[in-house]
Amino acid sequence: MPQFSTNAAVSLEKHVEIKTKPIESKLEDIDYVYEITKCVEWIKSNQFQKVCLQFPDVLLPDASEVALKLQSILEQTIYVLGDTAYESCCIDYIAAAHINADAIIHFGPICFSKTSANIPYLSIYDKHELEIGKLITKNQITILVDSPYIHRIDELLSAFGSYSNVHIQTIDEDPLIIKSKLIVFIGDNKRKLINIELIYKPQHLYYFNSTNIGIFEAQSIILKRRNFIIEKIKDSQTIGIIIGTLGVKNYLQIIERLKKIITGSGKKYYLISVGKPTVAKLANFTEIDIYVMVTCSLSEIYESRDFYKPIATPYDVEVALNSQRDGIINFSFDFNTYMNENFDCDIRSTPIEPDVSLLTNTIRAQSTEEGDGRSSVTEEGSILALRTDGTVAMNSHFGAGYLANRSWKGLVQDVESQSPELAQRGRTGIAERYNTEPNE
Amino acid sequence: MVNFTVDEIRTMMDKKRNIRNMSVIAHVDHGKSTLTDSPVSKAGIIAGAKAGETRFTDTRKDEQERCITIKSTAISMYFELEDKDLCFITSPDQREKDEKGFLINLIDSPGHVDFSSEVTAALRVTDGALVVVDCVSGVCVQTETVLRQAIAERIKPILFMNKMDRALLELKLDSEELFQTFQRIVENVNVIIATYNDDGGPMGEVRVDPSKGSVGFGSGLHGWAFTLKQFSEMYAEKFKIDVEKLMNRLWGESFFNPKTKKWSKQKDSDNKRSFCMYILDPIYKIFDSIMNYKKEEYEALLPKLGITLKHDDKDKDGKQLLKVVMRTWLPAGEALLQMIAIHLPSPVTAQKYRMEMLYEGPHDDEAALGIKNCDPNAPLMMYVSKMVPTSDKGRFYAFGRVFSGIVATEDMYEKAIQRTILMMGRYVEAIEDVPSGNICGLVGVDQFLVKTGTITTFKDAHNLKVMKFSVSPVVRVAVEPKNPADLPKLVEGLKRLAKSDPMVQCIIEESGEHIIAGAGELHLEICLKDLEEDHACIPIKKSDPVVSYRETVDEISNQMCLSKSPNKHNRLFMKAQPMPDGLPEDIDDGKVNPRDDFKQRARYLSEKYDYDLTEARKIWCFGPDGTGPNILVDCTKGVQYLNEIKDSVVAGFQWATKEGVLSEENLRGVRFNIYDVTLHADAIHRGGGQIIPTTRRCLYACLLTASPRLMEPVYLCEIQCPETAVGGIYGVLNRRRGHVFEEAQVAGTPMFVVKAYLPVNESFGFTADLRSNTSGQAFPQCVFDHWQILPGDPLELSSRPYTIVQETRKRKGLKEGLPDLAQYLDKL
Repeated sequence: MPQFSTNAAVSLEKHVEIKTKPIESKLEDIDYVYEITKCVEWIKSNQFQKVCLQFPDVLLPDASEVALKLQSILEQTIYVLGDTAYESCCIDYIAAAHINADAIIHFGPICFSKTSANIPYLSIYDKHELEIGKLITKNQITILVDSPYIHRIDELLSAFGSYSNVHIQTIDEDPLIIKSKLIVFIGDNKRKLINIELIYKPQHLYYFNSTNIGIFEAQSIILKRRNFIIEKIKDSQTIGIIIGTLGVKNYLQIIERLKKIITGSGKKYYLISVGKPTVAKLANFTEIDIYVMVTCSLSEIYESRDFYKPIATPYDVEVALNSQRDGIINFSFDFNTYMNENFDCDIRSTPIEPDVSLLTNTIRAQSTEEGDGRSSVTEEGSILALRTDGTVAMNSHFGAGYLANRSWKGLVQDVESQSPELAQRGRTGIAERYNTEPNE
Repeated sequence: MVNFTVDEIRTMMDKKRNIRNMSVIAHVDHGKSTLTDSPVSKAGIIAGAKAGETRFTDTRKDEQERCITIKSTAISMYFELEDKDLCFITSPDQREKDEKGFLINLIDSPGHVDFSSEVTAALRVTDGALVVVDCVSGVCVQTETVLRQAIAERIKPILFMNKMDRALLELKLDSEELFQTFQRIVENVNVIIATYNDDGGPMGEVRVDPSKGSVGFGSGLHGWAFTLKQFSEMYAEKFKIDVEKLMNRLWGESFFNPKTKKWSKQKDSDNKRSFCMYILDPIYKIFDSIMNYKKEEYEALLPKLGITLKHDDKDKDGKQLLKVVMRTWLPAGEALLQMIAIHLPSPVTAQKYRMEMLYEGPHDDEAALGIKNCDPNAPLMMYVSKMVPTSDKGRFYAFGRVFSGIVATEDMYEKAIQRTILMMGRYVEAIEDVPSGNICGLVGVDQFLVKTGTITTFKDAHNLKVMKFSVSPVVRVAVEPKNPADLPKLVEGLKRLAKSDPMVQCIIEESGEHIIAGAGELHLEICLKDLEEDHACIPIKKSDPVVSYRETVDEISNQMCLSKSPNKHNRLFMKAQPMPDGLPEDIDDGKVNPRDDFKQRARYLSEKYDYDLTEARKIWCFGPDGTGPNILVDCTKGVQYLNEIKDSVVAGFQWATKEGVLSEENLRGVRFNIYDVTLHADAIHRGGGQIIPTTRRCLYACLLTASPRLMEPVYLCEIQCPETAVGGIYGVLNRRRGHVFEEAQVAGTPMFVVKAYLPVNESFGFTADLRSNTSGQAFPQCVFDHWQILPGDPLELSSRPYTIVQETRKRKGLKEGLPDLAQYLDKL
């Protein structure tokens, strides 16, 4: 029935917007870039049968070549994981679980988030060029090497071996402990730099992006933004918890904890799983005042200002709503850094003290209050407010009450004012360009 | 000693016809607080000799140090009136039978324009106003502002000419000149009253008239005052004329010939103006003889006037003696008390005509009737107009007026009310309950209110109207704690500050900066000091003051703007255009507002602004926040499913008008038209997710194609100075992009008044600059007046608006550079 569906050819011919430029390695470089021998050895020594290869989108052009090479050497089927649901820096266990894979080899940039599943994995880092000669230093420093540069670690070690004041560490050490207060980070990934700054609190943080050295300062902007987000959470009635990972360790525990904290403070939450969150997807839930996203610490979504409603981190919810938290915690994008395995929390539903909102300069609407800004305080704990004329008024900020406030309430029969009309011929073609419209 | 007890006051509270709630309002430095000392001393709260120096109602340390009132202060006093005065009160609603006592709740308000929100708060809870005018400088800009506000709130004014001592001692005006000055001030005041009040209106005639006794004369500093009534009483015997009739003859074009003993309406060679002859001359004589140390002369004069001095006062001379003599002869407290009791309305009288202005609900429900009748047995209706800090840090007295019912401690309905109290200037007195018609403070409700609010026991009650301020918070500073660990204390402090001032705004911006916004530099200075010393108690870093800008457009979009939804299945076609002059202000003032009947609103818009009637009927919404001065108009014809996406388009509009495309500032004065919409036939593909972000993109494209501009706030600045300093003023104003639009001499004085528009952004340090350029002779009063387009194209590199946009973007942590139209505009 072609009139009810678009031609299949349209989908195939559809032009897809590519945000980042894909990288294709030269054929002769593949062995080196993807460390084929290392992969082969790892698979052979562990006798894995079903091995998945995970590539970020930018490296996909090389995926088939790498897989074919491995297949021909190992004489076994190698799988390529396509379309990672969340961040491509995290190991995608869920996709691998579809074929009951024994192991995953992850290529490209990686976030080193603690993971939740136990499938063994091997990380093959991406590889960037580095002009070591430009790095000269005299102070007591730690050089921290990011994953794309680990393949050059030997050269670094030999270059700085004679300096007693230089300590070289790589980012994949587990646990990573940095003692010195002056860090030079080899790499320029902004997210990683922010995280290093937040976790290790160095006095000075420099980055070296293979040719230039620069000082990194972004913390104050991010921390200041917390002020707003935390206040916004306190003001919110309905909070959306977005599942943004299936791989990061303890993600289920943190979601449970968030639910408890939110309900404990008299607010309502929706748990939302929309795959990769986009502006369009999240704007569908207009009743949600703010989102909290559970994802890997390298996600860049927190800083985007294009979203209809702001996106908070679990930390913000913790600070804003958990009044029983003991001690001050330091901000981090990675909830594992401050939760210390202890995700169970004792959150009793404490009565909320009326409070002034610094966003609207009004008394913070309590969940029980009527929405029209009256100062009457109704009985606590009831979503419904009783009016004296006997009707029960629906609280206008919550779920169904919110929908009742919309001007469009669904199809209504309007038989009297509209007489039936004959069907007319409408537009043809697809919405991107109807047949009547001129070509670009 | 205080000559009344709390119990007496409580008894008086029930006698609502004998209550007078009044505020003292005036231009800055016209002597409100000084004058207020007189009734306070008459009530025995301060010693008579100290009256005029204590400024009892200036309770704060900085108020005393700077000699400026910052917060309005209430004080309740009890007085008794003599029988001869009681008979002047004729209306049965103005006096209980057989009751001599009067309860006067007086609120002294600040005169500096930066604190005029305090005046608004004071006016709301009172029924009458004592307008104080310095007879040397005459009616000033703030006199007019507060008087206009009073009339709009249906507050009845009486007038007091202050600083007569200066007129006599410094200016040395002769009596005829002084009379002319008085008469001009009375006329000026009456002109203002007539402009804003309709004589046929519910308040009736409110003009002030010396011959009726509603105008007082005197000196607050020296503690003496009179109305024509006082003098009329002195002479009534002599002339054998009725006091009231004589009052008429003592003012205006009324002349007396001492030789023929004939009254006349015209001046001729032998007669003399009665006001000068019978009132001013004796006063001049006393001044002359005492100030020139003519001891014999005044020792002979005093007994004639019936003044007997106390023993220890007899040794004084000069100014000291003058004060004692005048104070004994014409005690200010007495004159003021009579003016207040006789001419200001009781709550019973006032609430009859104030109810319809105050109550938002239907005018015949229980609450409305309770207010109208000032009925203590009706449901409680109380308006809290401001918060007064208590000695207990972080807690406030909610100060307000009971309009109906009784507010009581531990009320059955309002469990939150822990105590009701009586405000007594520097201290408070606990009181069991307070019936309608009175002013009081409440302990315990502060946590449920920010600045103001309605307290009621009637579940279906509507709100009492919120106050409208004559000033706007246009000057802002960012604050942060010196020690980052103090941040929670700062936040707590900001919340307290937000409560303690009727107008200040304490907000966290999207970038996370803590912003304090106030009316002007002085206002902010006081707020910051309070924050640092009282509310947060931590050292604070402050940014330089900045102003907030608005984004607007100058032309209609130069093309039809199309944006496609992310799935490409929906398209919006819109344009932006500037609103006609005056419409944004009409929306600000609520003359055009979202709650209007759409047909009426359309008619108004089409008549006044020439809007197309059909289009004007289809205004989808106002924004930002659903009420702001931008509109979205549906100009489509026959688009299917359009009503389905209205909510989403409105949401996108609210978003875009709140955060404009240039620097995420609010929009102002922009009308957006939707011309066409193409929608996917399937509802799932035209949900909020597709439409809301697309609307925002489309509106941004509209803005960028319609010559976007920045608007800056502009002060109306009134500067008073002697003629010699006028040149200096022009110099300073020119350097600061100021624009003088009026310059006039104050009639009867050597003073000039220069009126100018001055961008708020250029006003920082203006006062100091002006003073140094005029050797301290010029004193400006700046009040926010309007928004004005900042000349220059913000999209042009190196233009001034471009720099401002970039600075704002940087402060807000946004990407620097210019917004790219291609990001928002799609091709077909």
